[in-house]
Amino acid sequence: MKHFGSFRTSLAALTAGTLAVSMSTAVAEPGSWTGEPVRIVVTFPPGGTSDLVARLLAKYLDSEFGQKAVVDNRPGAAGTVAADYVAQQDPDGTTLMIANNAPFTIAPTQFESLPYDPMAGFTHIAFIGSSSPGLFVKPDSGITTVAEFIAAAKETPVTYGSSGVGSISHILGEAVDGELGIETIHVPYQGSAPAIQDFRAGVLDTFYDMVAQNSDMIEDREAVAIAIAAPERFPGVPEVPTFAEQGYDIVIENWVGLTGPAGIDPAMAETIRETTEAVLALPEVVASMADLGINTKPMSGEDYTTFVETQIGVWEPLIIAAGIQGK
Amino acid sequence: MDILTAFGSGLATAFHPSNLLYCFVGVFLGTFIGVLPGIGSMAAIAMILPLSFYLEPGTAIIMIAGVYYGAEYGGSIASILMNIPGTPSSSITCIDGYPMARSGRAGVALFVSSIASFGGGIIGMVVMALLSPGLANLALSFGPAEYFSVILLGLIAASAVSNGGALKGIAMVFAGLMLATVGVDLTTGDLRFTMGVPELRDGVNLVIVAMGLFGVGELIASIRANSSGQGRQTIDYSQFYPTRAEWRASLGPILRGGGIGSFFGALPGTGQTVASAVAYAVEKKVSPNRANFGKGAVEGVAVPESANNSATQTAFIPTLTLGVPGSASMAMVIGALMIHGITPGPRLLVEHGDLFWGLVASFLIGNVMLLILNIPLIGLWVRLLQIPYRYMYPTIIVLICIGVYSLNNNVFDIWLTLFFGIAGYLMRLFRFEPAPLLIGFVLGPMMEEQLRRALLLSRGDPMVFIERPISGTLIAVTAGILVYGLWTTFRARRRSRSASISMSE
Amino acid sequence: MPVDEPGPVDQDVTHRPHAWWGAVGGAVLVALSIYFMAGGLGLGLGTPFRPGTGAFPFFAGLILMGLSIGIIVQDLGSDGLAERPDWISFLAIGASLAVFALTADRFGLLPAVFLTTLVASSPDRSLHLPGKAVLGAILAGASWVLFIKALGLPFDAFRGI
Repeated sequence: MKHFGSFRTSLAALTAGTLAVSMSTAVAEPGSWTGEPVRIVVTFPPGGTSDLVARLLAKYLDSEFGQKAVVDNRPGAAGTVAADYVAQQDPDGTTLMIANNAPFTIAPTQFESLPYDPMAGFTHIAFIGSSSPGLFVKPDSGITTVAEFIAAAKETPVTYGSSGVGSISHILGEAVDGELGIETIHVPYQGSAPAIQDFRAGVLDTFYDMVAQNSDMIEDREAVAIAIAAPERFPGVPEVPTFAEQGYDIVIENWVGLTGPAGIDPAMAETIRETTEAVLALPEVVASMADLGINTKPMSGEDYTTFVETQIGVWEPLIIAAGIQGK
Repeated sequence: MDILTAFGSGLATAFHPSNLLYCFVGVFLGTFIGVLPGIGSMAAIAMILPLSFYLEPGTAIIMIAGVYYGAEYGGSIASILMNIPGTPSSSITCIDGYPMARSGRAGVALFVSSIASFGGGIIGMVVMALLSPGLANLALSFGPAEYFSVILLGLIAASAVSNGGALKGIAMVFAGLMLATVGVDLTTGDLRFTMGVPELRDGVNLVIVAMGLFGVGELIASIRANSSGQGRQTIDYSQFYPTRAEWRASLGPILRGGGIGSFFGALPGTGQTVASAVAYAVEKKVSPNRANFGKGAVEGVAVPESANNSATQTAFIPTLTLGVPGSASMAMVIGALMIHGITPGPRLLVEHGDLFWGLVASFLIGNVMLLILNIPLIGLWVRLLQIPYRYMYPTIIVLICIGVYSLNNNVFDIWLTLFFGIAGYLMRLFRFEPAPLLIGFVLGPMMEEQLRRALLLSRGDPMVFIERPISGTLIAVTAGILVYGLWTTFRARRRSRSASISMSE
Repeated sequence: MPVDEPGPVDQDVTHRPHAWWGAVGGAVLVALSIYFMAGGLGLGLGTPFRPGTGAFPFFAGLILMGLSIGIIVQDLGSDGLAERPDWISFLAIGASLAVFALTADRFGLLPAVFLTTLVASSPDRSLHLPGKAVLGAILAGASWVLFIKALGLPFDAFRGI
């Protein structure tokens, strides 16, 4: 693939000079929003989905819009180290972060105290997209529906692998137990890969993980995804039914968004959002996001802020049910 | 498909000019990054990851792989010259490499380290070419019980790494195990010994422990020795290249290290540090020169370097054929492929055989490049030792600080390094060695995690460790080693007691 | 008894501070193991076949305590420390790390490197203060070129100035 010329660098000066005008209209053109390189903070070490999204974004912000950006991984304490750091930075558009469930919707309920306020401490700028986890069983178990799974689990205790205590897959596992009225044995791993390894080795009966990222396993009949915890069937894996379709109210969204410290000028935030959306609309990026199993969706800044706030409420009972409060 | 034909077509892919170029970029960057203490292959791969988006997936993976194994070549350089592990896995190389440098044989140590890295790399490549499907199955036949048993075996073997008293060595292994429990308990999510510090939730980073105990501790001790002129690094140019005897002595360790390294590389999660530690421990048991281990034995440099390089090559087997990354660096390899729409897994060998074989062939080319790159540099590195220590040691401190700071961009890590530096110096004064502690620290969490997982899955039945054939065999071997060790210790003690009686203590 | 102790680095080790000095290392380990055992008990040991959160640190601590007592017995009769302690260098290096930790976030990488160099080289008398300042400046410049420019690590060269 070839480099694209950066043809809109002059917009940096433009947006900087026309703050007052665009404030009232809240319509912005995609382009560079600061002359400084932007630091995109990632809550995980390099290599994960958040990190890859950040690196894709950084690359195309520069090549398409001349906005230099560096990825800054600040992993630690379930993403709260990174969120705390971002909350303390100047709201000048030079520090942003890839927001996700860990520090924004799980930590507020999980931890007794947080050094930051997930809503007032940040400017939630742009929603990027989400993926949804699901339940995988062995093909030779013959189970294809949630109802059959319940029957099997009531007969003999079933083990499930998750990517760790307090991870999205663990919270989903406990939510499923509650909703289905069954009891399963939770076996935590460090990330989903080792859990899938043990599933393949026949050690685990089931596991929970993002469905779209495991489409190969589904196609190869190495695992059967009996239900996905998405609001509707997921792009890339349309054959996997939702929990809701089968009569169980279980929806979990593993989302990513772009967020900065509180007090970013609304006009600048709008430019950042427009630019991010323009990057996400590039064909190469669309393809890469699909490969990562992320369903992108444009959303206004206000909608994204409301979304984060609602999500805190959505996750609270799940986290309490999973029994990971104060851990 | 015939392996030779496949490898031949892989060679053709690897010799493509753009692949050659990016292979060189990768190994060059890797070896350079490896020299810098604390900044490992992960930082370098993260750095070039965006560049890889522009490349063909095969080329991208060749470049990233080059960074990964190139870093292992570079890692030993800081270990040998300054006693600071450039990468965690080269901590073991400090044990004999640094004493060699102090006795004026830095050139020989670096030479042997390069040759052993090359040998290990080639062994790893051959193993990957011949046994990839089989080794993928190895990882699948390793459940929690097997992991526990093999780690137990490694730990028992590693207790032998210490040069000082056996008692202190084993005590340090247990201190390492204990230290490793700091942070979130992986099985229950409870916090252990974090003292309310959020940064300690994720435990203590291996790089910090290694830099503090080896690097800072050594640095404090060497300032006075160097300023008073006693410890001046003399370079004996007549001992620049290994002698014929040293060549011969290195061959066995390279082969054994390569074999052990290939095994641990193919087991996701264990990796190069475990590989080099276990290989060193084994070599210390079997080498005819074992009495000189820890005092500057060439075998002690050859074996960990061969092991960690072969492990870097075979680490690609589970990463590519199962989609199971053994380390954060390998997770980035998977990420780089996913960006290109290639999902590593059992299908990769079939659907992207050209990519796989191109990569395997590039290992050969990359290792040759690294050898050609590193051998002429030895003279330069050795000359670095002639820089007066008053300039050197502040430079080393700055490198340690920046290296540690780059881990999480958090100054808390510097405070922790300070803590471990103090501990390292005191340990030195009281004759405790850091190497066994480090090994306990690496193996401890894995052992606990797999033990508890195995018991969770067996519903509390401990027989799983014996009933499963692989696990049972490993337990039996471990028990054998223990019994043999106790017996020889008992005999040695009886002999020394009778000797000390005659010498009247 | 270990006979193959690593050779002392310092040559003037022949002095013996006190016979009990040798036991301090073992005693520190005993204290450490008690801390981990107590913590382990507090976290819960679980059952033999379902080890709890505290089981591993407790038993590692227990074994370490046994070994440490053995070490104390063994070291009591030994010849003290491995080498004469160099507390000046110890303090200088410790302080230099502390200076880096205190200044890196506040003032940026380059001032931190400069100050760290000054503090670290303070015990060295063969170099004048201006010489140390030049060394600090060179290291700061080299860090900027190498880590920020060439490697692109996300550090700020200067901050808050």
